[in-house]
Amino acid sequence: MNRFLAAFSLTAALVRAQDARHIMQEVQDRARANSQRYEGTLKVIDSKNKISEKRWTYDRIGSAGGSKVVIRFSAPAEVKGVALLVVNHPERSSDQWMWTPALQRDRRIAFQDRSTRFFGTDFSFEDLEERDASQYDYKILGEETVNGALCWKLESRPKKSKSSQYTHAHIWVGKARYVFEKIESFHDGKLIRRLIYSDYQKIQNIWTPLTMEIEEVGRKSKTILNTEKLQYNVPLKDGQFTLQALRRES
Amino acid sequence: MMLLRLLTWPYVRKHKLRTILTIAGIALGVIVFVGMRTANDSVLYGFQQTVDRLAGKAQLQISSGETGFPEEVLERVQALPEVDVAVPVIEATVKTGLPGQGNILILGVDMTGDRSLRQYEFEEGDESFIDDPLVFLAQPDSLMVTSEFAAHNHLATGGKISFDTMIGPRQFTIRGIMKSGGLASAFGGNLAIMDIYAAQKVFGRGRGFDRIDLKLKPDVSLAKGQSALEALLGSGYQIEPPSSRGKQFESISRIFSIGASLNSAFALLIGLFIIYNTFAIAVTQRRSEIGILRSLGASRRQVRGLFLLESAILGLTGSILGIVFGLLMARGMANYVSSLFGEIYGVAQRVETVAADPKIIALALGIGVATSMLAAWLPARDASQVDPAKALHKGAYESFTAEEGRLRLIGAACFLAAAAVCLFLRGAEGLRLYAGYLSVVLAAILLAPAMVRCLVAALRPLLRSLLPVEGALAAGSLIQSPRRTSATVVAVMLSISLVVGLGGVSNSSYQSLMGWMNNVLNPDLFVAASEQISDRGFRFPASIGDELRRMDFIDEVQMVRTARVRFRGAPVMIVAVTIDSLARRVHPQVVAGDPSRMYREAAAGRGVLFADSLARLKGVELGDTVEIPSPAGVLKLPVVGITIDYSDQQGAILMDRSVFVRNWKDDTVNLFRVYLTKGTTAGEGKRRILAQLGARNRLFVLTNDQVRRFILRVTDQWFSLTYMQIFVAVLVAVLGIVNSLTVSITDRRRELAVLQAVGGLRRQVRQAVWMEAMAIALVSVLLGLALGAVILFYYIGIIREEIAGVRLEYEYPVRIALALIPAMIAVAFLSALGPAESAVRSSLVEALEYE
Repeated sequence: MNRFLAAFSLTAALVRAQDARHIMQEVQDRARANSQRYEGTLKVIDSKNKISEKRWTYDRIGSAGGSKVVIRFSAPAEVKGVALLVVNHPERSSDQWMWTPALQRDRRIAFQDRSTRFFGTDFSFEDLEERDASQYDYKILGEETVNGALCWKLESRPKKSKSSQYTHAHIWVGKARYVFEKIESFHDGKLIRRLIYSDYQKIQNIWTPLTMEIEEVGRKSKTILNTEKLQYNVPLKDGQFTLQALRRES
Repeated sequence: MMLLRLLTWPYVRKHKLRTILTIAGIALGVIVFVGMRTANDSVLYGFQQTVDRLAGKAQLQISSGETGFPEEVLERVQALPEVDVAVPVIEATVKTGLPGQGNILILGVDMTGDRSLRQYEFEEGDESFIDDPLVFLAQPDSLMVTSEFAAHNHLATGGKISFDTMIGPRQFTIRGIMKSGGLASAFGGNLAIMDIYAAQKVFGRGRGFDRIDLKLKPDVSLAKGQSALEALLGSGYQIEPPSSRGKQFESISRIFSIGASLNSAFALLIGLFIIYNTFAIAVTQRRSEIGILRSLGASRRQVRGLFLLESAILGLTGSILGIVFGLLMARGMANYVSSLFGEIYGVAQRVETVAADPKIIALALGIGVATSMLAAWLPARDASQVDPAKALHKGAYESFTAEEGRLRLIGAACFLAAAAVCLFLRGAEGLRLYAGYLSVVLAAILLAPAMVRCLVAALRPLLRSLLPVEGALAAGSLIQSPRRTSATVVAVMLSISLVVGLGGVSNSSYQSLMGWMNNVLNPDLFVAASEQISDRGFRFPASIGDELRRMDFIDEVQMVRTARVRFRGAPVMIVAVTIDSLARRVHPQVVAGDPSRMYREAAAGRGVLFADSLARLKGVELGDTVEIPSPAGVLKLPVVGITIDYSDQQGAILMDRSVFVRNWKDDTVNLFRVYLTKGTTAGEGKRRILAQLGARNRLFVLTNDQVRRFILRVTDQWFSLTYMQIFVAVLVAVLGIVNSLTVSITDRRRELAVLQAVGGLRRQVRQAVWMEAMAIALVSVLLGLALGAVILFYYIGIIREEIAGVRLEYEYPVRIALALIPAMIAVAFLSALGPAESAVRSSLVEALEYE
């Protein structure tokens, strides 16, 4: 989720169409910021239309595969203080830990568990990772219009060194703003997740989607993430993105 | 078939009671066999089913006995390229406290990844079974239960349920309900899931896991995965498929299985003599029919076949009845056996279904029919050899011929010689004991007619002195029909010898146990994490021990950690305690080793002490270096002493606590042995400990007396199953007496009628029958008590060498023996009431026309 959000707040500068890798690099560059903070509302609508809502604060330092993220839940009361630390690495999968204040325990989210759902949402733990554009191979599949925006339709495949639950993804990049409009992730030809970005606003010169809707295909549920109070380049310290800090600040 | 219809059916109709008694004889043996085996197998099957359902898609499980291991092992396993998914597990059973629900198995898992291995819901992809997965993880009171458990206890999502935990009584919130099937049906549906880190806290696991369940990558074979894991973790861990847990449980409870098999075999042996008796009598009574048949051209083979077919039908009928009632008995017994196993072995299991295992049913049918045919073989052979010309000559065939008597004596001498040889042979201890036991029993069976004759002859003056006419009649009847009498006597003798043997074992066991308790079980108080001190599901942090030590009314605290580890392929109990302190306080019976040196060496971590029984079973001797797997690697230590120790039924390995903590990286405690200061009573100590620690911790303070009573209660329960089998054995024997008397009266109808016709009183006839019954009982009991004395010797040997390794002192159960004599005479008297009445109430005219 973060990779999609961070990579897509781009300026609206016009860039000449280039090959697929250059497009993706441009998307990443335009969204680049030293840090990011927002408050998010996560709404899960299950197959029986039951809605559960949670709020979190999101802090990120660094970017493009070398970033660190802390997600801290703030509501409802039962989950307040639960935090997730994601330490991304450019050359391999991220490290993830969860902190549960009621138990005063941290737990490592094992790599094997990255494909499992992120606490009942339609995101998986892997979707919380931010990966550098260079970790994928790309090709242009054509052009399509999504949400009224003309897009390049690209195919991305993780390089062999990179492990992922997805064998490939289809990415629709808006030609006008170099932002993601839609991503469909596949495993062996089977569509697993569909992510749609909307409510783009230009914040601190970066085009930023304020709403993301993700659906795990076949589960008949969807998760909507709305972001508020989003800021880039906020003063955050590296020391805030450690397990010790996670324990200390809860 | 025609012979069966023409000859057998009328005979059976005429002797309904005897036929019923014969069938009952075989049925009782089969009931014991089917009941005990099915109950035992149901418990094992229930355990295996729970294991299978809990295992889900797990191909391998990593454990370190029951001790668990540090969390770090998980990351190493997950990083192995051969491993696809590896998830940690904690398992514990707790009392629900809900009416009729008993225990619930709580599975602590890491819900973030566990669903890769276990299916928590019925419908794929539906996660609505957990109300909110994040809340479930965030709140340590979260619990997910099965829909069955929720329905039985009227619980819904958001509902509360309370359990005692290591951090005191805690209320849990139902935050998920599993749908039926698969995992949810494990432990009979009494299953709850909680977050593994919450489980660590509430079950006192520190930062450890009980085991890891894992699935290998699709292209990795089980063997390859196993060896990769062994290479990674070393030999201190067990890496096995889930099914091996069932085998471990089977291995722990093997003593019960062996006992059940031996006793049911004995019950069948007694049944065999009842059938033999019935057929021997039938052949005698139907000599004229057999003679006519033979005169009409029936071959010897046809006659023999007729009797064997009859026996097969009786055996089949008895077996079918035995199977039906055996299964009913198993239903009643299974939960009892299950709770007994839980109390003795501390292993949680729950009987889900008591189903008829086709193998047991087939075996029971086979054994029942074979026993019946075996029993009928000799009478059938006799029947086939009937000389048509002499067929009408009554009486002679109820006696043994001189040739037969000589052959019996030679046979008995051979068996006794074989038993003597077995006694002095060395090596193959079990085999020689079983062979000796069998030889003695066979010798006793062969000698029985001669012994009966001698004893009845010796009794005759006594009987006559009591009641001259009736006594003479009773003694005469017994002496004139030794074939009939001796078969009954053998059946009762075997029953009595079984009672003496098992009673002697029970007596000796209690005495040994009491001796051990007096030597070793001397703390004033025991602070346990569970009401059952054998339950190892909960553990204390070591800090509780420090708190106890600081209490001014406590003189000394010994921290005890018990756990089963794999030793030479089987689970063996380790008892880790501060040896220094133990040596000062307890004085167990030392079998091998110098007491002062062995404690010094063990306290310094330079050796371990073995229970005598375990050493015997595993072939371990003083000075041997044993290898005990631990998470830190294989622990190699010499055996510095062998003592009598009943900490576990199979014996235990005693080591210093420091050795355990160092190698298992686990300083938790199962039990504190508390010695109070002088002047502090146990009651006061208990009250003060509970006042200071009880509110914050789950703990049970048991007085010395309570622990002793717990041990004795469990021992009573263990032997109660034996007593039940004794009861069946005696019942079979009583059936034999009734059978024998019924036959005796039928045979002597004319004789008894003549007695009445010439002025004999009904009272006299009755008393003659009663005296006959009581004489049979007395003779049988005397022979049984004598045979029991020898059998007890073999039982003690077999228990020592083959079953439990326990060293029991030979002590003849005099009180049981003394009680048996009047009891069996009384039983015989009661058994004779019906036949005696039948003897005096039948028509004189008909009786005089008989034969």
